[in-house]
Amino acid sequence: MVENRKYLGQFLLPLVVGAAYLFLYLPIFVLVLFSFNDASFSISWQGFSLRWYEKLINSPEILNALQASLIVALATTFLSLLIGTCFVVASRWGRTSFFSNLFYVNILLPEIVLAIGILSLFTFFRIPLGYGSLIAGHTLLGLGFVIPIVRARFVELDPVLTEASLDLGATYWVTFRKVIIPLLMPSLIASGLLVFTLSMDDFLISFFCSGPTVQTLAVYVYSMIRTGVDPMINAVSTCFLVISSLLVFLLCSLKVVDQVLTHE
Amino acid sequence: MKKALRAIFTQESSFVFSCPAVLWQFVFLYMPFAVLALYSVIDFNEVTGRYFLTAFYYREIFTSLYIQIIFRSFLLAAITAAVCFLIAYPVAYFLALKGSKRFKTFLLFSLIFPSWTSLIVQVYAWFFLLEKNGFISWFLQWTHIISPSFHLLNNYFTIVLGMVSCFLPFMILPIYAVLEKMDKRFLEASADLGADRFETFRRVVFPMSLPGVYAGIMLVFIPSFGEFAIPTLLGGSKYVFWGSVIVDKFLRSRSWRLGAALAIIGIMLPILLMCCVYLGRAIRERYRQRQSKEYTEYLNANKDLWG
Amino acid sequence: MKSIRLERVSKSYDGELIIDNLNLEIKAGDFFALLGPSGCGKTTVLRLIAGLETVDAGRIFLGDQEITHVPIHERKINTVFQQYALFPHLTVFENVAYSLRVRKMAAETINARVAEVLKMVRLSGFEGKYPRSLSGGQQQRVALARALVAEPEVLLLDEPLAALDLKLKEEMLTELNQLQDKLKTTFVYVTHDQFEALTVSDQMAIMNPQGDIEQQGTPKQIYEFPVSRFVANFVGNTNIIEGRLHISDRDYQVEVEGLGMFSVYTPTEKLWMIPGCRLLMSVRPEKVLISKKPREGFSNSLQGKVVDIIYYGRSTQYRVRLKNGQNLIVFEQNEEHFPQESIDWDDEVHVHFQKENVVLLEH
Repeated sequence: MVENRKYLGQFLLPLVVGAAYLFLYLPIFVLVLFSFNDASFSISWQGFSLRWYEKLINSPEILNALQASLIVALATTFLSLLIGTCFVVASRWGRTSFFSNLFYVNILLPEIVLAIGILSLFTFFRIPLGYGSLIAGHTLLGLGFVIPIVRARFVELDPVLTEASLDLGATYWVTFRKVIIPLLMPSLIASGLLVFTLSMDDFLISFFCSGPTVQTLAVYVYSMIRTGVDPMINAVSTCFLVISSLLVFLLCSLKVVDQVLTHE
Repeated sequence: MKKALRAIFTQESSFVFSCPAVLWQFVFLYMPFAVLALYSVIDFNEVTGRYFLTAFYYREIFTSLYIQIIFRSFLLAAITAAVCFLIAYPVAYFLALKGSKRFKTFLLFSLIFPSWTSLIVQVYAWFFLLEKNGFISWFLQWTHIISPSFHLLNNYFTIVLGMVSCFLPFMILPIYAVLEKMDKRFLEASADLGADRFETFRRVVFPMSLPGVYAGIMLVFIPSFGEFAIPTLLGGSKYVFWGSVIVDKFLRSRSWRLGAALAIIGIMLPILLMCCVYLGRAIRERYRQRQSKEYTEYLNANKDLWG
Repeated sequence: MKSIRLERVSKSYDGELIIDNLNLEIKAGDFFALLGPSGCGKTTVLRLIAGLETVDAGRIFLGDQEITHVPIHERKINTVFQQYALFPHLTVFENVAYSLRVRKMAAETINARVAEVLKMVRLSGFEGKYPRSLSGGQQQRVALARALVAEPEVLLLDEPLAALDLKLKEEMLTELNQLQDKLKTTFVYVTHDQFEALTVSDQMAIMNPQGDIEQQGTPKQIYEFPVSRFVANFVGNTNIIEGRLHISDRDYQVEVEGLGMFSVYTPTEKLWMIPGCRLLMSVRPEKVLISKKPREGFSNSLQGKVVDIIYYGRSTQYRVRLKNGQNLIVFEQNEEHFPQESIDWDDEVHVHFQKENVVLLEH
């Protein structure tokens, strides 16, 4: 009886894991596959073709949307890293541990609440929506990730290593340049990549806060889906996938991943 | 002079450097909440041209229509979290405790990878797969499991499918993190004391993994509650959820006050969830105390033996 | 209480051979210590007995029963782990009751046994506490209680006192001794601290860095009659002097270059003791008498100069440089019953030791 249980465990577990993989990968696999389909309608495979990608490159709306997404993502990443790191480093001098708890809400609350918050704010003060509101919203998300990740690493360095460096005769500025920043770099890069990806992929905040003038790629795809299936969406999605996988690959190749996981 | 400057620098530094972040939070997060809260309770009387406090919008919410919607969203989020948990726990367990060291991180990331793309891409992938002329429909029709007129999309099951597919990795990660970090010596100690694999799991592994489970539930339940893209795209307009109502109120019908009130309810949700967690912990402690009370009674009864 | 026997046991780890063809016999009811330097494989032996590792070759017996392939949770052997491994999410009571609960015993029985064993380790009243609020010594006693409550045939202890300070260690050693005397369970105690092993064990085995057992015996046997240089050096301190063996009639003498002839004695004749062979003399520092003036009645006397003095409180260690340049370590207990001349740096001194206190070791 006990042995049956053991066999069950031995086979059942890998089966569930395999099923999970299938569940997560099958839709994407089919999606990518059919982006190379030569047919206008989904099911029938009519040969390999790159025509949807050609259409993509020649579509000004998509390129505009891509540009918008990139601008927002880059600005967001820069701002999140700058502001977030300043905040974390500042904890050296004052007791900011209470304040760092403030930032957990960014991830804990439903994103839609953040989105309408920004929407209401801008409308209340009659500021037109656009890049400003997008970046403001995305940076909120970004801070929610940057601060915990960088902080986790920072508390290992300071005060232990900082005091050692000061004891050996370096000023704080030198310590900062030669000790803190290099050791903090992996966390910075990891959280930077994370925020960039998050911003590129983000839909909810972009949907609410972009306004009539700006449209990010994710929102554009949403509007395309609303009108029905179109292989071009497959092509755009595949591009999305490629960008994301490049970023994940970058993230993986830094040994930061294990570090981040062990601090979570 | 330099010394004085430096003193000021280090003391005020904390303030200066942390200012931008805290300011940002307040301006773009907390202030809007205040604005929303205000919106939801203050109304403008066209006639007198003055503002007045009102609970009108909250009363509106507690009508059957909105209560139904909120409850439906709550249910969907709960189902999503439950299904995610049932799938994620075995997967995380397998990865953390059975996977070989070298492949562990790789396996984990290949599992997380699909969620690294935009939500939109994932939803569309399911949309594409399940729509009337899509791959799976064609396959199921071909094998005569369903009739040609059966719509795979636009039903509750599909919505859950899409939700789980998007949020599963968020449940896997925290559970994996906790299980991975767990000292394997506890497993050895448990086996040494006579517990087989199942008992060890029940008494040691699972209780110790609970912090990760709670984290995972929070990470899945809360976003699921506010999700509107997935139900809209995969469920058609058949079902109305909290998220879609908010979209409607803010972007379409422009009834912002009602929308604000609804949003405030949404903010209450994590707080409610936290309270539930603490309540659960308190109940467990009570149970423990009750058990130890029995033990103390036993000791008192046999005072002569154990003094 | 049962005996443990390992028969030709081998174990490799990551391709490295840790123990090879090991034979070990532990008598039932003994307090057995397995002593050896870090990394020699003694913990591996313990884990094999516990069932936490499986043997590559060989057999393990508990009493008369072979347990080589019996899974851990079915062996009636419990372990006190080095870092205690107390379940942090359970109270002291629940930790101790664990093995009984797993066996689905009645609540009455569990309560009784837990109370009994907690009283034995002097932790009555700590039931409701969590491990994180206990001190190191208290945690250790909980770990002990937890392992003993199920009345195992054998108790394994993996360097249990490693994390405690000296005073606490001494206390715990006495307690462990008393406990074992009372329970008569076979204890197998693994450590790298010779003081612990000597203090507490009925029988001891020394393991060398290659994973072989060099000597097994009572603490006194091992200390007084080590069989090899490794054992002599590892257990306690010793002076090693090289020389050549001379045998005339029944008298054994060792010629040392630069120092002359020494009278030695060996209780048993070993095969390697042929006249003219090179050998080592081992003389324990406490068996050497140091004095400013020469003393009568000693088999061996030497002269030398004091080059180092270390004060240990209850004893003083002198390092004496002999005529051939070699240093001799001498321990003197600071009993100071009668006034005596104090020995200082650079003093010329006499050192004496009896021939019976010399142990002859193979070169």
